Amino acid sequence: MPVAESPPVAIQAHGLRKSFRVKTQVVSAVSGLDLTVEAGQIFGFLGPNGAGKTTTLRILTTLLPADAGEAVVAGADVTRSPQRVRRRIGYVGQLGGADGSATGRENLLLQARLYGLTATAAAARAAELIELFDLGPFAGRTVRSYSGGQRRRLEVALGILNRPGVLFLDEPTTGLDPQNRANLWNQVRQLRDSGTTVFLTTHYLDEADQLSDRLAIVDRGRVIAEGTPAQLKQRYSGDTIVITPERPAGLARLEQELASLAFVRSTETRDGSIRLAVTDATQSMAAVFTVLADRDIAVRAASLAQPSLDDVFLHETGRSLRDAGEPAAQPSSGQPAGEQVAV
Amino acid sequence: MTFALQSGLFFRRKLLETLRQPVWIITGLSTPLLYLALFEPLLRSVAGGPSLPAGHVLNVFVPGILALMAFGAGMGAGWVVIWELDSGVIERLRVTPASRLALLLGGVLRDVAMFVLPGVVVIGIAIGFGFTAHWAGLALVLVLLALLTAACSATSAALGLRLKQIGSLAAVVTGVQLPLTLLSGILLPLSLGPDWLRVLGHLNPMYYAVQAARDLAAGTITTAAVGTGFLVTGAAAALALWWGTRCFQQAMT
Repeated sequence: MPVAESPPVAIQAHGLRKSFRVKTQVVSAVSGLDLTVEAGQIFGFLGPNGAGKTTTLRILTTLLPADAGEAVVAGADVTRSPQRVRRRIGYVGQLGGADGSATGRENLLLQARLYGLTATAAAARAAELIELFDLGPFAGRTVRSYSGGQRRRLEVALGILNRPGVLFLDEPTTGLDPQNRANLWNQVRQLRDSGTTVFLTTHYLDEADQLSDRLAIVDRGRVIAEGTPAQLKQRYSGDTIVITPERPAGLARLEQELASLAFVRSTETRDGSIRLAVTDATQSMAAVFTVLADRDIAVRAASLAQPSLDDVFLHETGRSLRDAGEPAAQPSSGQPAGEQVAV
Repeated sequence: MTFALQSGLFFRRKLLETLRQPVWIITGLSTPLLYLALFEPLLRSVAGGPSLPAGHVLNVFVPGILALMAFGAGMGAGWVVIWELDSGVIERLRVTPASRLALLLGGVLRDVAMFVLPGVVVIGIAIGFGFTAHWAGLALVLVLLALLTAACSATSAALGLRLKQIGSLAAVVTGVQLPLTLLSGILLPLSLGPDWLRVLGHLNPMYYAVQAARDLAAGTITTAAVGTGFLVTGAAAALALWWGTRCFQQAMT
């Protein structure tokens, strides 16, 4: 099986819509979503629970037909040629999907045969993946007996068995301990380095920030921001400098003076400290110290506060991502829509 | 042919799953044997009328037991399907290019095997108790009732995928089990009952399978009841497979 030649654009979606009937209400899970993912990247899809991440993923992986809009994945249209999409993508769902009553090796062999490999080729590919994901010690045991981390490794192995051009991971690290989480991140990076486009949904800020080359932030079925993690943080909040003078006297005047500097976008005084949102903290720091020296102000502490992706979400929605989870708009959830529940 | 190959692969997967849980093989065999051991003597004591002549009780009862086994072998499919839905197995397989009908057939064929093999054992034991065997007829009984198992298995799987909850599925299956089995004359021939019961029986697709099975087991192959039985059961199986495939195409947690 040759490695699928990746087109420069791995995923292109336009105007995707999907709503579900929950009891008597119609709940919109995806409402006019546009997306472009370049090939060879780790693309993060960040949003609170119920933002429409999983529904979008299911549309892109041919599991669910969209009500409207179109999507081309790995060079094939999800509606017109779903079989071609299925051959070219890999998918590891939130639920995992390994068959608990079969052994790890049997899971791999069946998956390989379903992609059209002969018995011999399937055995070779299974052996290769068992080696690659270090499944050897337990490949002959039924999956039911696996630990969470072992199971997740097998499931990722199943997801990349057909050497997909695009790999979809739905909340891949949920429920994993820090060690297994770090291992999975490494595997994802290796896959990217070998040319696979990885599309992953997550509601973890640090995962989206550290793992993604680019990311889209989604809320209520729409992309509300898109770019590299650094770009997004820069664009929406800039860097933040926190200055704490030795004496609180004259704090207001100092704030005024600092606010007039060209590179300072906004200021805020809180608990005896002045927070400056600046365009480039490392360059601005020197200028701020010059002002402080000119006015002969002793400083107790000065620090750089890096903005987080949560600041981006807050800026766009007025809510913190940590509090923004809502009941997922899924067909079987039966939850009232639009009600906000803390995650 | 890819479809046949995939059906075979899914069938093998399901067989392995069953072999790893031998308790199901044991109960699949013990239930009909208990019926033979406990119900047959009861039936013998009420026999003696024109519709249930004494001395031929086993000949009427064995086809009924086989039909009950066929029904039971199929109706359990939904439980496993719900478990596979919840663990993401079906979702994973749906992202591969595998045929959805093959995916359904894997389970259906396993259920058919899990009816036919114990069925043969039960026939063998019944012969030991004095059941008169007509071999050609019995072979056709197994074919006919295998279609019934397929219809039940595909229906149960479809119900599982639609209802998604073990509790709801259990309620539906146990709810239809009694009327379907009683009104097909499995345990006692419906001809023993009043007219209204017989009319109700005619509305039950399983009734025709049981009637045909009784004729076939008696060695009379070319009766109208046999033709109707194959027609109704075959149509039910085709319809159930179509519905089951549709449900697999859309299956979602």
